[in-house]
Amino acid sequence: MVPAEWYVILSAAVFCIGLVGILTRKNALLFLMSVELMLNAANINFVAFSQVWGNVTGQTFGLFVQALAAAEVAVGIGIILVLYRNFKDIDVTSAATMRW
Amino acid sequence: MAGAFDFAPAIVLLPFVSFLIAVGVALTGRDLLPKGGALPGIAATGGSLLLSAWVALTVAGGEYYDETIYTWATGASAGHEFELTFGLLLDPLAAMMLVIVSLVAFLVHVFSLGYMNDEGETGLPRYYAGLGLFSASMLGFVVADNLLQAFVFFELVGLCSWLLIGFWFREEGPPSAAKKAFLVTRFGDYFFLVGVVAVFATFGTAAFAGPESFPVLAEEVLAGEAGGEVATFGFGAETWFTIVGLLILGGVIGKSAQFPLHTWLPDAMEGPTPVSALIHAATMVAAGVYLVARMYGFYALSPTALAIIALVGGLTALLAATMGVVKREIKQVLAYSTISQYGYMMLGLGAGGYVAATFHLLTHAFFKALLFLGAGSVIIAMHHNEDMWDMGGLRERMPITYYTFLSGSLALAGIVPFAGFWSKDEVLYEALIHGLGSEGGLGTVLLLAYAFGLLAVFFTGFYTFRMVFLTFHGEPRTETARDPHGVRWNVKFPLVVLGVLAAVTGFVNMKPVEDLTGVKLTFLHKWLGEEGASGLLANLSAHHYAEVAHDFGGITAAEVGSLGPAVVSLAIALAGAGLAWRLYDVPEPVEHTERLGAVRDVLFNNYYQDEYQVWLAESVVRPIAGVADRFDQGVVDGVVDGVSSVSLVSGDRLRRLQTGIVSNYAVLLTLGLTALLLAFALMGGWF
Repeated sequence: MVPAEWYVILSAAVFCIGLVGILTRKNALLFLMSVELMLNAANINFVAFSQVWGNVTGQTFGLFVQALAAAEVAVGIGIILVLYRNFKDIDVTSAATMRW
Repeated sequence: MAGAFDFAPAIVLLPFVSFLIAVGVALTGRDLLPKGGALPGIAATGGSLLLSAWVALTVAGGEYYDETIYTWATGASAGHEFELTFGLLLDPLAAMMLVIVSLVAFLVHVFSLGYMNDEGETGLPRYYAGLGLFSASMLGFVVADNLLQAFVFFELVGLCSWLLIGFWFREEGPPSAAKKAFLVTRFGDYFFLVGVVAVFATFGTAAFAGPESFPVLAEEVLAGEAGGEVATFGFGAETWFTIVGLLILGGVIGKSAQFPLHTWLPDAMEGPTPVSALIHAATMVAAGVYLVARMYGFYALSPTALAIIALVGGLTALLAATMGVVKREIKQVLAYSTISQYGYMMLGLGAGGYVAATFHLLTHAFFKALLFLGAGSVIIAMHHNEDMWDMGGLRERMPITYYTFLSGSLALAGIVPFAGFWSKDEVLYEALIHGLGSEGGLGTVLLLAYAFGLLAVFFTGFYTFRMVFLTFHGEPRTETARDPHGVRWNVKFPLVVLGVLAAVTGFVNMKPVEDLTGVKLTFLHKWLGEEGASGLLANLSAHHYAEVAHDFGGITAAEVGSLGPAVVSLAIALAGAGLAWRLYDVPEPVEHTERLGAVRDVLFNNYYQDEYQVWLAESVVRPIAGVADRFDQGVVDGVVDGVSSVSLVSGDRLRRLQTGIVSNYAVLLTLGLTALLLAFALMGGWF
């Protein structure tokens, strides 16, 4: 049995990788991937604690998050397509017209 | 069956409709109505007159009416429930005043046909609109059943006065006189408004009549029957009632042209003469005195307020009469006589002579309207020259004007048996007996006011007959006076009606004759409510007022026969008139007043009242206003402007956070999350 601390450390590491990706990258696709990483960090926690407490509710929630992530990716890809059409680029810093 | 009271609102509404018609015509800019809009006005005031007479007859039958017609606001504050309403109060006083106002308004409308239409004035729809609105608001004021309604119509009356004085707005004088009249009366009305608020705050009601009215509540408080229900703001009840009464008296002094706010009335003579007759003699100026009479049950509670009213009245009567002695223009003399006569009414009210003052209000309305219309007739004849020194000898050339004017003059001077004698004599008699009977300061003040009033009788007789002799007797002094312009029926008819009334109105209340013969002749006392009045009149009757004035106001009558004082005042009036006869009833009169020297200058300049009021305005009020303005601009506006500029600047800085770059938002989110975590950690003691 793997102790719970390991799962938590893994989850925190994945979350931080995602966070660094969002803070440093300009490519919209990489943005999307980083968000995905952060979501899955949360998922790891759900599943891990579900196993620790012997309760399946956390695993069910993990499945819901997967479905949600799939939907989110569909919307995100759509936004990226529109971004490309309007700015001929998928650099998130170039689309800066929605400001004061 | 529908009675007179069901039609009573129409008394007010009819002239208002005529106002709307005249305004409508004036707005089209075309001559749609014959006579420039005079006919709707004549019809409306005639209708009001008939309805008023009907109401008066019904009231004479012992029926009274007090109903709320329209409630326009309700609310509660400090435990009081407020209802702001318009209503009708028809008691003997209101019925009498309704007849006076609608009769004079009707006659003035007819007279205007001769004074305005026949003289080819322009802008007549505007003129008749003003007259219509004035009649409506004055009638509305008379029937008011609460103080706030009275205030509203009081202000409307002031507005109409402003409109009509400034009728000839293309000339220089009238607009300035109109502004002066408006501002001076507004100054008094300011105190009135504060007084109205004070009445509401104290009693929670401003009704004049009924068991829940404020005079009755005040009386109960002073009698120790209902202490907890009124708020007196830390003053003793009597002190506070005196303060409230004096605040309302501010409006009365302004509107009834009492010293020291009388200065607007002589200037108001810049308006058309029928307007002077209607507004500045018979009705609007009466509004102030009527208001005191209307809430006399309140004033009678306070000896201080009564003393002040009597003293102001006596002083005004004397000062105005002396000023009238030296004036050159016929309307100016009449203006000062008006101020003086209203002083007598105030004197009567202050001296506890409620009936006497009301009686003088009645007779004065008729003879002063008559004198102004007579002066108007003379002015038509003289081609709008008002200087008496250019007249003379008009007696043979305009006999009807002369004899009616003479009737009014005899009434004004107080010569038996004309109307003014009976009423003025009763005012002075009340002042005398109550001055002798009352104890302490009040008695002294009343006697002083009586002395002023008695002295004024001499000057009244003098200036009245100086005016008559200069205008109508002797030889014509100019070409115009030798060949005056004729006047038509529409001028003569009102003169004759009023001339007869000025001669006979006094017979409704002949107290000296009653005392002499024992025959019951004091009908006005009966009309205004003698002992045993019941129902609504129980708290509004003259008898009740006399009791209140005695129990709370400290007014006590001494036993003096009414005949002696009457003979004294008649003798003094005859002395004044006789002096005028000696000096001025000669073919070629000279300006004897010039011999008074410096005194004449002081009188001619009205005791420099205007000068010191202008000085007050310019040297005292303007600097204070400047400081207040700086405070307003600097501190009050400064705070408001400061708040807005702080938000502007900070908003300008803060909006720079919104860069439009997603990465920056992500950074902010992360920093926020970190800060939140740190905060939780510190608060939760994780370290």
